[in-house]
Amino acid sequence: MNIRFDFVIHWLWTIVFALLTLSGLAMVGAKYGWILNYDIASADYVHRVLAAVYVLLTFISIAYEVVRAVKHEEKKLAWFIIGKSGYQLFTFITTLMFIITGAIIWVCMDSNMSATAFALYIHEKLTYIVVASVIWHIYAKCHALLWPKKPNTTDKKNVAGTK
Amino acid sequence: MMQKRWFKVFVWFASTSFFFLASGILISELGPEPSEQQTMQFMMGMMDAMHNSMMGLSMSLEHDTGLKQLVGTASYILVPLVILAVLFGLLVRFRGKRNAR
Repeated sequence: MNIRFDFVIHWLWTIVFALLTLSGLAMVGAKYGWILNYDIASADYVHRVLAAVYVLLTFISIAYEVVRAVKHEEKKLAWFIIGKSGYQLFTFITTLMFIITGAIIWVCMDSNMSATAFALYIHEKLTYIVVASVIWHIYAKCHALLWPKKPNTTDKKNVAGTK
Repeated sequence: MMQKRWFKVFVWFASTSFFFLASGILISELGPEPSEQQTMQFMMGMMDAMHNSMMGLSMSLEHDTGLKQLVGTASYILVPLVILAVLFGLLVRFRGKRNAR
């Protein structure tokens, strides 16, 4: 079986992003706490650990793109999370914004409240935009949801009959 | 891989989860304001996170002078590194265009 690198990164990134969104939403405020039954400690723990994985996956992807650029490989990777145009470019920019604002929240939480508040605002609103964009992305790529067709036995018989 | 049935189930599961997340946002935003009990539960959860999770750990690291120095050094070299990375990227692009010609 030939599994491509961009395909693996795409789905790993999807899982990590979904779990990050779930744990992050539970921490947005009292309105959102019900999502994880107000277990903020677990949400915080999961969010921080997965954030590290998210950053790692993004940096691996950027390094891969840099190597491709150095080798002058122009072939577009259909499944890759980052790229030069379209939804790949959108994902690249929003991911960097998530990482930068997330780092500001993590580092400045106890020292610079205004920076933390601004970063939290961007981090939260960006989440809503990106979740909406993922819904659109699923709609645009809905052919991936089609169930694989079973080999039709009656068709085979008909074909065999014509021979 | 995309033709495998177990993988299709996973794709359906992953896609559906995003619809649940979007629904969660809509329910929270458009729903009624949280009750006093829910607000207290959230605050208790936050306090619990500070005591038992990495939130408290990261706050205690604020008093770590070694770490602060490291963060300061990292911030200091960040801008030159970003400029270098941009210059390197431009160099790679221009070289690629020249080779393409």
